[in-house]
Amino acid sequence: MKITAIVGSNSKHSANRKLLQFMSRHFDDQDITVADIDQVPMFNENYPGGDPQPVIDLAQQIEQSNAVIISCAEHAHTVASSLKSVLEWLSYNLHPFANKPVMIVSVSSFPQGGSRAQMTLRQILNSPGVNAIAWQGDEFLLGNGDTAFNDHGDVKDEGTVKFLDKCFAEFITFAERNNAK
Amino acid sequence: MKFAAIVGTNADFSYNRILLQYMKKHFKQLADIDVLEINQLPAFDQDLPYEEQSMAVWQFKQAVKNADGVIFSCPEYDHAIPAALISAIEWLFYNPKNILEQKPTMVVGVSYGTQATSRAQEQVRQILASPDCNAAVQAGHEVLVGKAAQSFNKDGNITDQAAVANLEESFTSFVKLTDALSKQTEEDNLMTLKQPFVNDAYINFPTGRLSFKEAQQIFSTIPFEIDLIDRNDRFAWFSDKPNREHVRHVNEINETVDECHPPKALPAVKAIINSFKDGSRDMVERPLIMHGHRTLIQYYALRDVDGSYLGTIEFTGSVEHIISLFENGAFADVTTGASKHGDDAATSETSADATSAASEETGAPVDDAADGAAKAKADADDTDATTSASKED
Ligand SMILES: Cc1cc2nc3c(=O)[nH]c(=O)nc-3n(C[C@H](O)[C@H](O)[C@H](O)COP(=O)(O)O)c2cc1C
Ligand SMILES: Cc1cc2nc3c(=O)[nH]c(=O)nc-3n(C[C@H](O)[C@H](O)[C@H](O)COP(=O)(O)O)c2cc1C
Repeated sequence: MKITAIVGSNSKHSANRKLLQFMSRHFDDQDITVADIDQVPMFNENYPGGDPQPVIDLAQQIEQSNAVIISCAEHAHTVASSLKSVLEWLSYNLHPFANKPVMIVSVSSFPQGGSRAQMTLRQILNSPGVNAIAWQGDEFLLGNGDTAFNDHGDVKDEGTVKFLDKCFAEFITFAERNNAK
Repeated sequence: MKFAAIVGTNADFSYNRILLQYMKKHFKQLADIDVLEINQLPAFDQDLPYEEQSMAVWQFKQAVKNADGVIFSCPEYDHAIPAALISAIEWLFYNPKNILEQKPTMVVGVSYGTQATSRAQEQVRQILASPDCNAAVQAGHEVLVGKAAQSFNKDGNITDQAAVANLEESFTSFVKLTDALSKQTEEDNLMTLKQPFVNDAYINFPTGRLSFKEAQQIFSTIPFEIDLIDRNDRFAWFSDKPNREHVRHVNEINETVDECHPPKALPAVKAIINSFKDGSRDMVERPLIMHGHRTLIQYYALRDVDGSYLGTIEFTGSVEHIISLFENGAFADVTTGASKHGDDAATSETSADATSAASEETGAPVDDAADGAAKAKADADDTDATTSASKED
């Protein structure tokens, strides 16, 4: 299955990027492409010249995927402005998320692992402008992100990886069902 | 009471902007509401070092910091707060410090549909209540203006009387909240009083005595303004006078040099202070144009009678009047007399670096290269300020 994995942070050393890169290596039976968002400008209704190229490219990539994973950073109990900006672009002229199965994951430096950002992101994905199908199964929240990865960028804790395997397998089943429709 | 009202969108046309402009107008007897835009801010970037943050970000933070309370008018995008507003809030709390800490905040919003930003507003409150922001968020009141196109008339006034009544009640309550919170800190805030605290005490100088009141009013009367950075590098005091060239605010008192200067000006400011501390200089000056008139800024090392460093004073004033006196021949007859008294002044030392910095209004006073040049020059001859000022063009 072709999957676009969106890094929900524009930070240079994003822990969420690490998680997605780990997932793309770990789940090598699926075709996961990690997409960065740091090239996407701040959403503005009056942006000169219409949708900027990085938005068009990302929209196309999502369009051509069977499913999407978003790994979101948490800033002040909500999603980072950089991710929200991408979602606004993709709910404005282009609507690539429409009926696309989306898996939400997150890494944060605190033990909660981004729980509040996940809630907000789910709410945003469910809004009519975005209209994605956010998968509602288990929640994968990776806390203490600063120590969760080893030097190769792999998630250290075996139990955590097992849980991620389970979540991902469920999501793939869900996404297959939705793609078959 | 002074409020910063943040337009929560970067859109050219915004009903939320109209709401805040309406509030500014409608409540002008009750409070001074300053409407702040966010469309000039760059997108939040956590990796950007503080020193490289733009002037726009700094000015935005200053405006919020110096307000007694903050009003957020938040549109709803995709059932959530617009990215541009999240980004503005990220700038406010992240680096170098959270300036929303315990700030009284009120949330209002207008939407095109009937939901009137009910979902986005809850998120703003959640964000403001997070440990990152820790603002004092007003609870128990909601200003939800729906059906924007019908809710305002063409003059930008709200047409629905019930909505106006609700807004009045909510805002009055917010003013009370802000007042109550500011009273709690009034003891630390004696600076906000218009009068000195001990009215009839005197300071005995070797050369006479001044009452505290006279001392304060002298500073308010002389046509120059003075700011003091104390020996611990904290902004300790400024002379209070109307129409200052540098607008200062009592909230800035006690801030470190790092906090009270825009990051880009910091290295130059520190270079001056360090040269005063190590004794290599006593004065730096920069002529420049501020608010459309010729202004002279002079930094002096403030020293105790034994020469030890007490702080740095910034002495700023428009010199238009003096120049026009000069140009009209005011000093023609008295030149010889004036020079008799004038030869002890330490004016010449830094005239060259003043020249190099003269073009920039808001930025750094002097750079290090210019400092070096200035010193070499000062050693060589005694150039006066007039010569150096003319070199700039
Ligand atoms: C501006 C800012 C605000 C933050 N606020 C929160 C927060 O509310 N909750 C949380 O769990 N972590 C918070 N953090 C820490 C993030 O969890 C941490 O930076 C994490 O690495 C973000 O993911 P990223 O590395 O993919 O950007 C915050 C970080 C930043 C830079
Ligand atoms: C990307 C985008 C998403 C929007 N999503 C919502 C929404 O979820 N709920 C809503 O009531 N209005 C939504 N709107 C419409 C706004 O309410 C409307 O544009 C309103 O005028 C915005 O406030 P402003 O006039 O202050 O910019 C959305 C508009 C845009 C551009």
